[in-house]
Amino acid sequence: MDMSELTQSSAPRRFIGGQLLGSSQLVLGVILAVLCMAISIAAPQFYSEANIIAILRQCALVLIVASGMTMLIITAEVDLSVGASLAFVGCIGMAVLNSTHSLTLGLLAALAFAGAVGLFNGLVVTRLKVNSLIATIGTMMMLQGGVYLFTREAVQNHHRLASFTVLGAGYLGAIPLPVVVAALIFALAAATLRFTTLGRYLYAVGANERAVRLSGVRSQRLKLFAFVVTGLCVGVAGMILSSLMNAGQPTAGRGFELTVIAAVILGGTSLLGGRGSLLGTLLGVLVLKVIDNGIIILGWNQDLQMVVPGIVIILATYLDIVRNRANVG
Amino acid sequence: MNWSKSMLFASAAVLALSAAAAHAENMPKRIGYVTNYATHEWYQNVIKGMQSRAKELGIELEVQDANLDVAKEVSAAEDFMAKGVDVLIITPVNEEGVVPLLRQAKSNNVPVVLEGNPVKGMTTMVAICDYDTGYTAGVEAGKYAKEKLEGKAKVMNVGLPLLSATVLRSQGFMDGLKTIIPDAVMVHDLDGGGNPDRALEVSSAALAKNADINIIYGINDSSSLGGLQAWKAAGKSQDGLLTVGTGGEGLAFINAMQNEPSYRIEAAMFPEKEGYTAIDAAVKLFNGEEVPEHIVSPTAPMNGDDWKKFYDYDGTTRKIKWDAVNALQPPEKCMKTSADLKK
Amino acid sequence: MSLASTDTMKAGPSMLARLVARQELALLLCLILVIAFFSFTAENFFSVRNITNVLGQASLALTAGIGCAIVFISGEVDISIGSLLATIALPLIIIMNDTNSLVLGISGALLFGLIIGVVNGYLTAYAGINSLIVTLGTMFIMRGGVYLYTGQRAIPDDAALDSFIALSDGRLFNVVPYSAVIAIVLLAVFAYVMQHRPFGRQIYAVGGNPEVARLAGYDVRRVKFTCFIISALLATVAGIILAARVGSAQHTAGLNFEFQVVAATVLGGVSLAGGIGSLTGMALGVLILQFLSNGLRGLGLPTEWQLVITGMIIIAAVAFDEAKRRRAIGG
Repeated sequence: MDMSELTQSSAPRRFIGGQLLGSSQLVLGVILAVLCMAISIAAPQFYSEANIIAILRQCALVLIVASGMTMLIITAEVDLSVGASLAFVGCIGMAVLNSTHSLTLGLLAALAFAGAVGLFNGLVVTRLKVNSLIATIGTMMMLQGGVYLFTREAVQNHHRLASFTVLGAGYLGAIPLPVVVAALIFALAAATLRFTTLGRYLYAVGANERAVRLSGVRSQRLKLFAFVVTGLCVGVAGMILSSLMNAGQPTAGRGFELTVIAAVILGGTSLLGGRGSLLGTLLGVLVLKVIDNGIIILGWNQDLQMVVPGIVIILATYLDIVRNRANVG
Repeated sequence: MNWSKSMLFASAAVLALSAAAAHAENMPKRIGYVTNYATHEWYQNVIKGMQSRAKELGIELEVQDANLDVAKEVSAAEDFMAKGVDVLIITPVNEEGVVPLLRQAKSNNVPVVLEGNPVKGMTTMVAICDYDTGYTAGVEAGKYAKEKLEGKAKVMNVGLPLLSATVLRSQGFMDGLKTIIPDAVMVHDLDGGGNPDRALEVSSAALAKNADINIIYGINDSSSLGGLQAWKAAGKSQDGLLTVGTGGEGLAFINAMQNEPSYRIEAAMFPEKEGYTAIDAAVKLFNGEEVPEHIVSPTAPMNGDDWKKFYDYDGTTRKIKWDAVNALQPPEKCMKTSADLKK
Repeated sequence: MSLASTDTMKAGPSMLARLVARQELALLLCLILVIAFFSFTAENFFSVRNITNVLGQASLALTAGIGCAIVFISGEVDISIGSLLATIALPLIIIMNDTNSLVLGISGALLFGLIIGVVNGYLTAYAGINSLIVTLGTMFIMRGGVYLYTGQRAIPDDAALDSFIALSDGRLFNVVPYSAVIAIVLLAVFAYVMQHRPFGRQIYAVGGNPEVARLAGYDVRRVKFTCFIISALLATVAGIILAARVGSAQHTAGLNFEFQVVAATVLGGVSLAGGIGSLTGMALGVLILQFLSNGLRGLGLPTEWQLVITGMIIIAAVAFDEAKRRRAIGG
């Protein structure tokens, strides 16, 4: 099978996912709209500027990591260590900031560390052939333990750099800076997936790795790339979180990996690889965070924040399957 | 003169003798401590206090971590009993889950000291009074509000409804506050999960709904700081705001009191002292002495720079000043306990 | 995550059988090494009391691990078992408190477990939703439901029936904890079914190659559906043992338990790709991890080191196993 055949074989798939709104996105868009309407009828403050900014800022962290994770899951791999890495990155970034008083160096250290974690995961999966679910559970444990070996307590902000505070709490015009950063990363990832050869290969590796390998493309390199990108995204998110918290918190990020993966899956990206889109992920993040916010705004029991997303994930996937069946039949 | 001097000598000798006698009482060789969550700053400092006291008394202390998992707590205690420790100290992950463990310890004749939470069928527990801690901080906050906040008190409580201890703190805070400012109100009653990122997220949403507050109260330092960070992230000035934290478990509150203009009051709970007291209680149990069911470990509200009385801080670690903390008089009994909540 | 790529399937059954046997031997050696190492380094490690304690502690993961392995072999995953542990403890403890009857309590728990298994199985096998998504969803729903119902408080076992307490404290011949006996019996029964009964062969066939299984006349959907029910019921048994060990229904029971069981199962050579692995391997995987964590505790190592070392060993073991397998089939 040569490369032209390969791109052809994945072409119809891309055609379905490549429409402005694929089936799952349509379902999600409707769910999102219904949610927003329902919540705003019950609680008009939902549409206040302050609340929208609060929602967007919460979305930003998830979306940044979910952008990388979408690419990774499209290649049929997954990374469960992102939550633990998020906490570690914040601590390292803050420690470097404290000792160097340089935002650039702090950011570089955070990115280097998070990228290295991604690289490690990628190498274990591609070279040692360890299933990524297991490999990244292992990395998760190592990072959870490692962060406490690095620091027993939250790393405090001793440098008091104004530029660091801006990272989490600053604005560009009326838009919070984290949202701007998330939008940039999202756009970059979306463009890569949709318009570049690299993006097409990522889909192809996930859809049929053997075919890609036979066609002479180094599939392992592509997966490695996706792992590192996911890692780097965690680096960015970790620094923003530590700026928002004004400290490097070793306890941060618990359960973060599940939120991210849930958003990606909700967005219609297949865990089997080869199928999915970043637009879907964006909608997935929005739906989950609007639910979270709505439950707080309505003063409902916060435990519903676990139940409702669980139902939504299953329901959305099921509706997607039903729609696909209807289209086929 | 001479006479009084010799009296002094004599009394000193008596004191020394009695101290020696106290030390001569049977010391347990080995104590096992199963903590709830060893990586948390609070327990880190409880362990430090224990280690320091155990070293003084020549006791070998071993620590195991349940890491918030009751099943693991039971396993760790089983390990300790298999190893043959003389006394167990346990911080229950929660109140119900360690009942079987107490049962097993009893059948193995290993005395148990609980730290933090009471459990049905326990011999003794070393713990602070949560309600009182919140209450005294509430009184201080009331005085501050009267003087600097035009006598108004609108509170955002970054709470943790799942633990009776933390519910008591919030209740105590509001009750104490109302003794000075009778029309104080709780605008937001939140579940901040006791951790900073959750507290930040929940507070952000609450402030977006209604930002008309002037006091942030947190049931621990992570909660108060999460609340304050949400306030700052919403672009608000700290003028006219008071932030009150609870615990004083690590370095975070010292940093906040030095750098955040609104962070003026901390309800300190001295984890080191709690560990110290737990070891003393373990020694007493080992010798079959009578001990009260609840041994109270002291707390104190700290305004502004008060923390310097109790802690040395060199920028990286803090060191407790034992003299100052040991001089604090804990109450005999708590004003309110979790038993009152259940009524 | 690549639940699809199964190079090993081409190796043929006899090759596979030999491979599996060799793998079990390697795991057994690994277990002996772990025990030997800690016997020399950790005080009181090699004592009857400590070893039987560890068996009691391992009973949870062993019991639930059987179900986890069977679902893996059928080509699916079930990560809802941790939340299930917390869920079924509610009917168990509440019914026992109300009726003072262990039988009714356990029946209630098993009924709940059955319902959960049916839901997971139906959504996966018949509605066709990816099992990772289904069980991720039910994991959230059950955990959230337990939090909502209990208000995040544990429910104490007020009935304190002797028979229930025996599940935690009792020991056969005063030596082996009853919980471990239960786990071992279940393990033996299911190992027999998997190796020597037609149903076991069906599960291997369905997980190894669903197309071939369908052509052979097996009802792929029903086999998978049944596997989810088995998994849920076994996790229910684990949940009952856990509730006895902690004398209460804990809202946080089983948090991260699914990670622990999945890691042990994969370590034991059960492939996520389906069709490959044995219950003996799974059991050895559980025991290795359990003795490891007991030994590390015995050495007085702090939690952070325990986490780091366990993480490294999981990755190393799976990597080593993978390398060996690829060498064996020359792929």
